[in-house]
Amino acid sequence: MPWPLYLALKQLFPTGRRFPFFTFISVTGVALGVALLIVVMSVMGGFGYEIHRMITDTQGEVQVKVSDGGVVENPADLIPVIAAVPGVVGVTPYAVGLSGLMYGEKASFPQILGIDLKRVESVVQLNRFIRPGSLDDLDDDTVILSVQLASSLGARLGDKVVLYSPLFFKDAMKKNDEVMLPRELRVVGVFEVGHQQLDSNTAIVTLRRMQDLYGLGHAVHGFNVRLAPGADVDAAVARFNAALPLGTGLKAYSWMDSFNDFLWVLQMEKNMFFFLLLFIVIVAAFSVTSSLLISVVRKTREIGLLGALGGRPRDVAICFCAQGLFIGTVGTVLGLALGLGVLAVRNDLIHTLTHLTQREDVFQKFYQLSQLPAHTAGADVAKIVVFTIVISTLAGVIPAWRASKLKPVEALRSE
Amino acid sequence: MSENLSSSPAAATNVQPSKLKAEYCVTPGASAGLEVVLSATALRKNYLSGSQRLEVLRGVDLAVAAGESVSIRGESGSGKSTLLNLLSGLDTPDAGSLLWSGRSPHPKDRARFLGMVFQSFYLIPEIDALANVLMAARILGVLGAAQRARAKELLALTGLVGRAAHLPAQLSGGERQRVAVARALMNSPRLILADEPTGNLDEHTGDSVVELLLSLCRETQTALVLVTHNAAHAQKTSRQLFLHDGKLSYG
Ligand SMILES: Nc1ncnc2c1ncn2[C@@H]1O[C@H](COP(=O)(O)OP(=O)(O)OP(=O)(O)O)[C@@H](O)[C@H]1O
Ligand SMILES: [Mg+2]
Repeated sequence: MPWPLYLALKQLFPTGRRFPFFTFISVTGVALGVALLIVVMSVMGGFGYEIHRMITDTQGEVQVKVSDGGVVENPADLIPVIAAVPGVVGVTPYAVGLSGLMYGEKASFPQILGIDLKRVESVVQLNRFIRPGSLDDLDDDTVILSVQLASSLGARLGDKVVLYSPLFFKDAMKKNDEVMLPRELRVVGVFEVGHQQLDSNTAIVTLRRMQDLYGLGHAVHGFNVRLAPGADVDAAVARFNAALPLGTGLKAYSWMDSFNDFLWVLQMEKNMFFFLLLFIVIVAAFSVTSSLLISVVRKTREIGLLGALGGRPRDVAICFCAQGLFIGTVGTVLGLALGLGVLAVRNDLIHTLTHLTQREDVFQKFYQLSQLPAHTAGADVAKIVVFTIVISTLAGVIPAWRASKLKPVEALRSE
Repeated sequence: MSENLSSSPAAATNVQPSKLKAEYCVTPGASAGLEVVLSATALRKNYLSGSQRLEVLRGVDLAVAAGESVSIRGESGSGKSTLLNLLSGLDTPDAGSLLWSGRSPHPKDRARFLGMVFQSFYLIPEIDALANVLMAARILGVLGAAQRARAKELLALTGLVGRAAHLPAQLSGGERQRVAVARALMNSPRLILADEPTGNLDEHTGDSVVELLLSLCRETQTALVLVTHNAAHAQKTSRQLFLHDGKLSYG
């Protein structure tokens, strides 16, 4: 080992002596910063990951639809084409639109989703989200409501709700004699997927009911597609676009395309947090700098001696930079261990905290999650490690420069 | 590393002792026929403090041959430490020339050519006695089994058997200075510069440290320049010089 590294190690971790206080404090500062970074990045990543999971759980990885919002007239012809694309494990058509829904005196305008009962389970495990009730009970005369819609209407299983077609309003305006009568549907299920957008105001009916309601005939609005696990979504999207017939306006969209703005905001927030929390590491690095500066002053005579023994100023500088590097490295390792440890027990921690403050219900309402999600991405860890070690090493630069400027003659003379 | 800085006596053939010896030796006879390890000519050093100019060294001539021991005495403030700093190449003279084994000094050569002992011991507090001795070898860039063996042997020679694993804080002043002596000898230098090595030690301990320095230098044919206030110590060297009025003289 080159002597500057050897001496740097020995100054931080002296032979046969207990851990010096300076090393302890410096390492702790860096470790706390790293731990906080890893916890926050993982929780943010967890939210992103949960959202990804919710989106793909409820609509598959890819949607094929007409780009200008039009309808697909011949879904039966297209399903085999889509299903034939490599990597596809399921495809289901859907129709979607707003409509009026009444229960007694209460009215709402939910998004109505028409699903193909024969195919939907190949893409979305819808039954998993339905409680109480069951997807098996859904037919052309029944409806499944989202949890918040059901509670705002006050509708329960077995209650009858009235669904108005948009055509009803059109016909009524034209004062047609033959108006499209509203349909009475029985509630056979309530679903909750954990995704605010879907849970707040959605009703699920059969595709046929939806086509009838919107006067679509056999047309649909698009297809949800499930890919094999681990498939490259972007590559699949490209394959779809190559396979889809031209001139129909049909295009494939990945789940990321559909939620682009949302994901972008999430990424921005994550970057912002990273940037802000990095300042904790930077502040920790400042304390490393000041400790090392004190060390340079305290060790002036020994630095002079190193010169007298033939050590070059450059090597003296390396010795102090290396101390920053070692503090950063040890701090990073401890910080990662601490952060990952906290993440491992996060739900117990939150449970204890919310229990102590008696705010358990608030937490669940606010985040709509009973558990705090966490997903530690390798790229985040790498970023944290690299930044921390670079910053800590830079923390040694000023002390190193000071030390290398000391003239051995004057350093040895100093009292 | 050049050959003429190595410790092997055979390598001394590279220098021309006849030429160097005649011109610069304060006592020419003392170094006859031997390699001139150190040769300083007309060294001058001034300090400027404010507007005042302090002429500390006004032309010092000194030549030291291999195996020779030279003592330098002088009043406090006469410039002994200043002179040693110039000889060690740590400081630069305002005028004059300096040669290490016939070559102009280069910082790169210091670790192999020169060992230094000071009034303060300057041991590195975080590492044990053995590691302090080995520090000289680390800085030279050669550290292997041979160096470890040599460091242990030096600690044994300096009477520190069993203290190798002690930290400087666990050693007495005399023991620390012995470690410093061992460190100075670690790389088998051609020259040892000792600046009041007994200044911080009691009389008895001081005697034994000087005795040690002299005997080790004699055995290894290492030149020694010893700055001391102690007349008895000075008497034991092969040449006794005085620094007075910025110049070296005998008696
Ligand atoms: N860096 C400096 N700047 C100004 N004056 C200096 C400096 N270093 C030494 N001097 C002066 O030079 C003179 C010689 O100093 P030096 O340390 O060489 O004396 P010395 O002979 O070693 O004394 P002592 O026996 O007390 O150690 C002193 O008067 C001192 O004040
Ligand atoms: Mg002095």
